[in-house]
Amino acid sequence: MTTTPLLELKNVYRTFEKDRQPIPVLQDVSLAIQPNEILCLVGESGCGKTTTGKIIAGLQTPSQGQMLVNGKPLSELSHHEQKDFRRAFQIVHQDPFASLNPAHTVEQILSFPLLRHGMVASRPMLRRRIWELLTQVDLTPPGDIVNKYPHQLSGGQRQRVVIARALTVQPKLIVADEAVSMVDVSIRIGILKMLHRLREQFGMAIVFITHDLAIAKYFAWQGRIAVMYLGRIVEIGRTPDVIANPQHPYTRALLAAVPEADPDITRRKRPMKLRSEDIPSLMSVPSGCAFHPRCPFFMEGVCDHDVPQLATLSDGAQSVACIPLAQDGKLTLYG
Amino acid sequence: MIGLSTVASTEGLIIGILCGLVPLLAGIYYRQWQAGIGGFIACVMSGFACGFLGGIPMILLTYAVLISKVYVNRQDPFTSLASLDEVNFEETQNELFMRRMANLGNTIRSGTSALIRNKAGFLGFLGIMFFVIVTVFGPLFIEYEGTARLDRRQPGARSLLAPPSYEHPLGLDWQGRDVLSHMVHGGQKLIVTSILAGLFATVIAVVVGSLAALLGGIVDQIFSAIANFILTVPTFRLLLVLATIVKFDSNLALALLFGVLNWPTLMRAIRAQVLSLRERDYVEVAFALDLGLWHVITREVLPNMISYIAVNFIFTIRVAMYSIVGLVFLGLVPLQEPDWGVMIFLGRQQGVLFNPTASGMLLSPIVAIALFQLSLVMFTRSLEEVFNPRLRSGL
Amino acid sequence: MSIKRIPSNVVLSVRDLSVSYLARRGRVRAVSNVSFDLYAGETLAFIGESGSGKSTLNLALIRTLPKAAQIDSGSVVYTRLDGTKMDILQLGKNHMQRYLWAECSMVFQGALNSLNPVLRISDMVYETAQAHNMERKEAEKQAMELLEKVRLDARRVFRSYPHELSGGMRQRALLAISLLLRPRIVIMDEPTTAVDILTQRSILEVLKELRAEYNFSTIFISHDLAVAAEIADTIATMYAGEVVEMGPVEDVFYRPRHAYTFSLLDAAPRLSAGEEELHSIPGSPPDLINLPNGCKFHERCRFATDICSLKSPKLEILSTDEDTQQDHAVACYEHRRVLATRRKVLG
Repeated sequence: MTTTPLLELKNVYRTFEKDRQPIPVLQDVSLAIQPNEILCLVGESGCGKTTTGKIIAGLQTPSQGQMLVNGKPLSELSHHEQKDFRRAFQIVHQDPFASLNPAHTVEQILSFPLLRHGMVASRPMLRRRIWELLTQVDLTPPGDIVNKYPHQLSGGQRQRVVIARALTVQPKLIVADEAVSMVDVSIRIGILKMLHRLREQFGMAIVFITHDLAIAKYFAWQGRIAVMYLGRIVEIGRTPDVIANPQHPYTRALLAAVPEADPDITRRKRPMKLRSEDIPSLMSVPSGCAFHPRCPFFMEGVCDHDVPQLATLSDGAQSVACIPLAQDGKLTLYG
Repeated sequence: MIGLSTVASTEGLIIGILCGLVPLLAGIYYRQWQAGIGGFIACVMSGFACGFLGGIPMILLTYAVLISKVYVNRQDPFTSLASLDEVNFEETQNELFMRRMANLGNTIRSGTSALIRNKAGFLGFLGIMFFVIVTVFGPLFIEYEGTARLDRRQPGARSLLAPPSYEHPLGLDWQGRDVLSHMVHGGQKLIVTSILAGLFATVIAVVVGSLAALLGGIVDQIFSAIANFILTVPTFRLLLVLATIVKFDSNLALALLFGVLNWPTLMRAIRAQVLSLRERDYVEVAFALDLGLWHVITREVLPNMISYIAVNFIFTIRVAMYSIVGLVFLGLVPLQEPDWGVMIFLGRQQGVLFNPTASGMLLSPIVAIALFQLSLVMFTRSLEEVFNPRLRSGL
Repeated sequence: MSIKRIPSNVVLSVRDLSVSYLARRGRVRAVSNVSFDLYAGETLAFIGESGSGKSTLNLALIRTLPKAAQIDSGSVVYTRLDGTKMDILQLGKNHMQRYLWAECSMVFQGALNSLNPVLRISDMVYETAQAHNMERKEAEKQAMELLEKVRLDARRVFRSYPHELSGGMRQRALLAISLLLRPRIVIMDEPTTAVDILTQRSILEVLKELRAEYNFSTIFISHDLAVAAEIADTIATMYAGEVVEMGPVEDVFYRPRHAYTFSLLDAAPRLSAGEEELHSIPGSPPDLINLPNGCKFHERCRFATDICSLKSPKLEILSTDEDTQQDHAVACYEHRRVLATRRKVLG
């Protein structure tokens, strides 16, 4: 089955310059996102998930590598087509207060993109569209919200306004960068369900970036999860597979380390013992497999020498970047 | 009829009353007595002051305030709970007009309440208004005494100077002229020129600073280099040198020159502000939504900087005023009376610094300038409140 | 190690604590009539979301409330090792200074914000030691030991400035220093929020080890149900400034009695649960200035009945665990329906 992916990243690298030192934020990242797909990017701070999201949304450009939209390389698109692409990929940020201009009312915030791109023909049409959008994100009655300033809304309400704003340009893909992390726990599910509903209703793909594995599992259950570590994807596959059968040592470590809202289960969990407590920084990425200094399955001479590539295992369903696993099909604890 | 020619005349008064009828009748119609009468008075005063130039805008403002008070009762499609199909989004021209008026009125009201809220700021505002009114409208009531008044010489006195008295509240100057009349007539030029100078500097700084910060790269480097170059030049000393070559007889030229020499300081502050605002998520989203650079500058960034720009604007006026007075005091600008700076210059030149009877002539302009500066400083306290979006209530 | 819940083992006894502060619009009732007992060696976790009052409660317990806030009523009685009791709220400034850190210490979230950037860890240790009449040498020895226990390179960390340490290292260092004077109580406010998964894991492991060794009581404040499930002995759920349910951790998670606790659990995804059906709580947290009549949660509650909007339910003890002597108290009229629904959900 080969449908053209909506967006494809091929061997993308992204390097930042800090004090004349190059910092490899992303290394050799390749991803294909199908239309209407849900993809979750998970990892800890510094893994590059936010940068990947911004590149997908068109807010940053890769230092190296290709980006293909509907099969065509971005560089080959005309200026007009590039602008359309810009609009088709939108982003929802983490901090709902920082992503709304404090000087504008909700009505103004939603009017700007609608008017700018000529999506409404008249003033009454504009008001009707705003009404529709607010209803779609469950901000009812719209009259209560429309003339308010961001500081008068709760965190959950603000985030819904942000999503409504992203919907004004009818995007094909939304990048949600920790979109519910700063929202109360009891409200998160509502917003996630709304995102599911909007995806079905409008046919959008959603790239969900988070460090919360439980939320990632809930949101992307029908989709895929990609686990990132120090700028690379170490494991990617269907969510039920990755959660129930994690392959990569880092994924296993993560899943074993997360506490659960269930006393019996969480107290019986045994965390994975890592070789070192030190967290490497992006300034000095370890050689070979970036996880090797901490990996309990470290194979000397192999893991610190060669960079593992993503490969699908014979009996597994997901792709993993781990050399011992690729060689032996299983992992053995060394030392 | 139109402009300043009708200032403080009966014609102006009649125009004011005519204009005032609009808010008054509207107030009666909507049963808003306070707003109606207040609007009437405001129109009369501004008509009296500036004829139609003052009266017509005032009609708009007072009518807006009035409407904003009654608009609460209007039906708004957004507030009804009806389903999308039932709601009628069409607005007649009349309803649209009313809504716009109400919004304007609300802005005015929240602005004035913010102004009044800060006591120090309000006091500063009153101080500024006092000086503006006195120097702009005072000349209509008090005659200017330009020629020397030898007839005022007191028997046995050695000069024409005189300390404050009942007839001449600020005393007499070295030519026996009434100091009060000089004060009233001599402030306008200084105040207007300072404000213009501040305006020029601020506008240049805002444009250059925002473009440099938003466009970055080579544009930023060029603008910053120019700004840094101008900053190394000692402005005042440059003015001194220029004064020997060029005649500063046009106020506009002086204001322009000041603006050109003083924008770099402000530009760097503006640039820093815009750089920080540029990193805000909502600016990134504005670019993602392809709203355009112009939109980002004027609708996203600047509205969040208005209080910062306003405060710096006031500060620049202050600096301009001191610079101009300094230039006059040093005699580098063609002396033209009446002028506060000239009064100080003459005071020193005529050697009245050590003469207590000259207190009126010397102290009046100094105290006036100091008080005006103080009012400006105090006023900035209000500006923060006025422009803070968090204090706006929304409907 | 089991906790003996007998009256003589009570370390902290809070009764009817209420805190409010004056905002522009009116008086904000941040904490209303909170009462609880903390036993020796017990970990009590306060769960709640924004506006629940848990952070204000925390500040009240160590009397570091902002100027605008005031303690309207209540008592916080602390019992020292030798049995003497004192009401923290009545202490003078000197006594308060001696109480803090020696009897009760705290670890806050966002460690960088609570640490003086120009002081090294060693400086902080010496300052604390001096304030409590501890010898420098002794303090240094204790600090080094504690830093080793939290799995840090003691020598290096001791000489470091806060910004030289990573977030997780800072948090662990703070934890170590908080035990310098062997306090009976350690209060922690969201110590693992904004911290990565693996770092959070090491902090929790280290906390469990320290707790086992030094047997201090802990008051743990969090919005993260999972972390609370892991380390708490007792859970207290807070909503709109009140404690609405309090009981043994397993009881609260498996047999919740309050509608709010139930809804929180129903909105918390668990990795082990496969495909889940979860529900959000509709509406927004209440306005603490204009609180609704009756039960503060009733407007958002799916179990609400008429009486819920009229009268505010009182906290009553529903059951007592025989082995641990822990009470399970709840303030909800519909607690039977809540329990029945939870049983159905858990299948």
